[in-house]
Amino acid sequence: MNLNPQDPPQEEKSVTTPKISLRDVTKTYSGVDTPAVKDLNLDIASGEILVLVGPSGCGKSTTLRLINRMIEPSAGEIIFDGEDVTNSDPNELRRRMGYVIQQVGLFPHRTIAENIAIVPKSLKWPKDKIRARVDELLELTGMDPNVYRDRYPKELSGGQAQRVGVARALGAEPDVLLMDEPFGAIDPITRFNLQNEFLRLQSELKKTIVFVTHDIDEAVKMGDRIAILRDQSEIAQLDTPEAILTNPADIFVEDFLGAGAVLKTLTLRRLNDIQLVHAPTITERTNRSEAAAQLRQSDFPFAVLLDDSRRPIAWVNQADLDSSDPLASNSRRIPVKLEPEDTLQEALSVMLQTSAGMSAVVDSTGQYLGTCTIQSLAELLTEPPVDGDSL
Amino acid sequence: MSTPLVVDNPETLPARRNQSISQLDLIVIPVFFVLLAVLLSVVWIYSDFDGTTTSILEPERLWTQAQEQITVALLSTVLVIILAIPLGILVTREGAPRLKNNLVTVLGLGQALPAYGLLVLFFVAFGQGTLTVVLALAAFALLPVLRNTIVGLEQVDKSVIEAGKGMGLTGFQRLRKIELPLAVPVIMGGIRTATIINVGMATLAYLIGGGGLGITIAAGLKINRPVSIFVGAVLVALIALAFDFIGGLAQRYLRPKGL
Amino acid sequence: MDGIRSWFDYLSSRTDLVVETLLQTLTYVVSVTVAASIVSISVGVLTRHNPFAKELSLSIASVFLTIPSLALFTIFIPIVGLGFTPSFIAMFLYALLPILRNTVAGLDSVDSSVMESAKGMGLTPRQVLFRVQLPLAWPIILAGIRVSALLTVGISAIATLVAGGGLGDFIKSGLARLPLPNSLEAIWTGVILSLALALAVDLVLRTIGRFSNPSGVRS
Repeated sequence: MNLNPQDPPQEEKSVTTPKISLRDVTKTYSGVDTPAVKDLNLDIASGEILVLVGPSGCGKSTTLRLINRMIEPSAGEIIFDGEDVTNSDPNELRRRMGYVIQQVGLFPHRTIAENIAIVPKSLKWPKDKIRARVDELLELTGMDPNVYRDRYPKELSGGQAQRVGVARALGAEPDVLLMDEPFGAIDPITRFNLQNEFLRLQSELKKTIVFVTHDIDEAVKMGDRIAILRDQSEIAQLDTPEAILTNPADIFVEDFLGAGAVLKTLTLRRLNDIQLVHAPTITERTNRSEAAAQLRQSDFPFAVLLDDSRRPIAWVNQADLDSSDPLASNSRRIPVKLEPEDTLQEALSVMLQTSAGMSAVVDSTGQYLGTCTIQSLAELLTEPPVDGDSL
Repeated sequence: MSTPLVVDNPETLPARRNQSISQLDLIVIPVFFVLLAVLLSVVWIYSDFDGTTTSILEPERLWTQAQEQITVALLSTVLVIILAIPLGILVTREGAPRLKNNLVTVLGLGQALPAYGLLVLFFVAFGQGTLTVVLALAAFALLPVLRNTIVGLEQVDKSVIEAGKGMGLTGFQRLRKIELPLAVPVIMGGIRTATIINVGMATLAYLIGGGGLGITIAAGLKINRPVSIFVGAVLVALIALAFDFIGGLAQRYLRPKGL
Repeated sequence: MDGIRSWFDYLSSRTDLVVETLLQTLTYVVSVTVAASIVSISVGVLTRHNPFAKELSLSIASVFLTIPSLALFTIFIPIVGLGFTPSFIAMFLYALLPILRNTVAGLDSVDSSVMESAKGMGLTPRQVLFRVQLPLAWPIILAGIRVSALLTVGISAIATLVAGGGLGDFIKSGLARLPLPNSLEAIWTGVILSLALALAVDLVLRTIGRFSNPSGVRS
């Protein structure tokens, strides 16, 4: 089990140079004794999304802003693409990185097209290349160029404004994007969609992204790796979401993950990761007393009633078998049938919907494959992880 | 000659700025005062006064003129407060928005009225006398106080008023307990401005027989005695600065705590 | 009405004089406003990062406005004599505050997230000032210039008292000759033409505003 927060997970090839490195970076504000960031060492690999997450005031935004030197470090080095940029021209550095902030900060006196074109224009791109790029970025971020190109920021909703913010950051094709709580000021539904779209975008573009958030759920969803930060940006744990959720390095990390951490791991696993159990199956034609005996002998409170095509219809218990009513007429019908690709979280929510506490899993044709019970989920969660960094 | 609210459109007025009294004001004004007083003393002591100058600059005459000027200015300020604040309150009650906006714009343009011209017109209309002067001064000083009353009441956080309404306070109670106290800093700013305008315009009162230190300045101009001009001008400036300082103190200490 | 007709007669028999005086006042207004704008905007920009300097310059400018007009017009006479110069100086000092106050307020009013994102995109501080802050602050600054110009129109009448010319001449001459014929008309000329000039100046500046205020920022 990897408990050392500084070592990268074993999947990462140690031969690749990190895209960005922070070496012993410290930031102390004058007049304040304790540094905001202390001796931070962090490597960010090319093409990954690294999420910086932690409680308010831990220094995550400060850390982000040290990378593009919006805040100058008091000590230490910043290495970008193998080059020490600690003392180079900061404006030039920032033109090589995209920067997205929570309030977006679009220039209200410029059209959307002009906003997106700002960095390309600074870099003196030819006009038609800029025009083409603007349209390309608008489409990439889900906005029709013909509709939005000449509009002004005040005409946009919060979600649209942030899409333009992302488009603008991508303007001059930077390799790196720095994002400071970009979806923080947006309503949950739009945020959910923007997160998904952003992940889709990233799968095409493969930028190196440093993403700051205070929301652990967002971190788990967005991050390839997560750095959980303590005061003064001290790294409590740096690892993949699964690793952190299943093996928090210490009490601080556990507390930060919160009681919901265990449940969060359910979003990361699927039904085909676990062993399905097999409750007794019966059909309308099965002999009731035989079925009752079979059920009594098994560990299960319910049997699965199948139809003629082996599709599960309802849960059946002893009382139902003992009565003379048709089996299919009882109230414990199976409303939702899960498939092996579904996440365990979905399985759990289905299980909680029926009084049976079990859910039926079917294959692509709808035929019964097995049962998932709350018991089997609980057993799973207490198992050690199956992937690379165990033992 | 006015210190208008500089941002014409109340919307664009950054609310905090109008309320915050710069600490520095209370230092800069006394500094200028002292500088001018020193300058005055130096000039007084080291200039040669000829006969005419001596008679123009007789201390008793100067004192009388100063008193005349201050009296007229204060009377006008009181008159303006009595007229402008109730009017400002009336105009900001619900149901008169367009009237108010037009009024505010007109008041803005009123800054361009030539004070000199107005004074003379009042003289033509009402003849000579202290009353004429006071009325003319009041007409001019009305603008900033009315305008600041309107803007001051408008900028009170609507949700606080709403809360008051929800607590069962009547319109009058809301006015007295919420709106007016919270508008005080802005209204005080207007009164302070008006006072300065009044002191300033009272300098011109001599033109229509209203007395004041303008007499000394004008006498110096007429017979070409620079010393008289200078002394008169500096004295007037000193009085104005003193009033501004007092106004600044009032603005600072009359402001409700917590604002 | 008789009064109006006699006023028009008065005007038409002296068109040259009226025009000349009007131009004198206009000269004052334009030169003072331009000079004060240059100085005030520069000071506002230069002090934008230094709160103390900002407050200090505002305090000083507002002291000038406190000093009564006649005093400010005459206080420099021992040094510069009568006529155009002391008038210009006085009006210039008066015109500083409205523009300075609005420059400061305007620059302060730019949303900090816009400044942050501008910096984050690699715009140099100069670029941020000229491409982002000033354009966004411009409507407020222009409003200050407008107030200043109107103020100057009003004050300019006092110039006559120090032999500085301008529309105040009519008022002075009228007052001196009361109740002789044409004295009242002279006074009205001074007052009404001042107002007319003020309206014209206001209109011109508002039109400039409509064309120079950046679109996309408040209508």
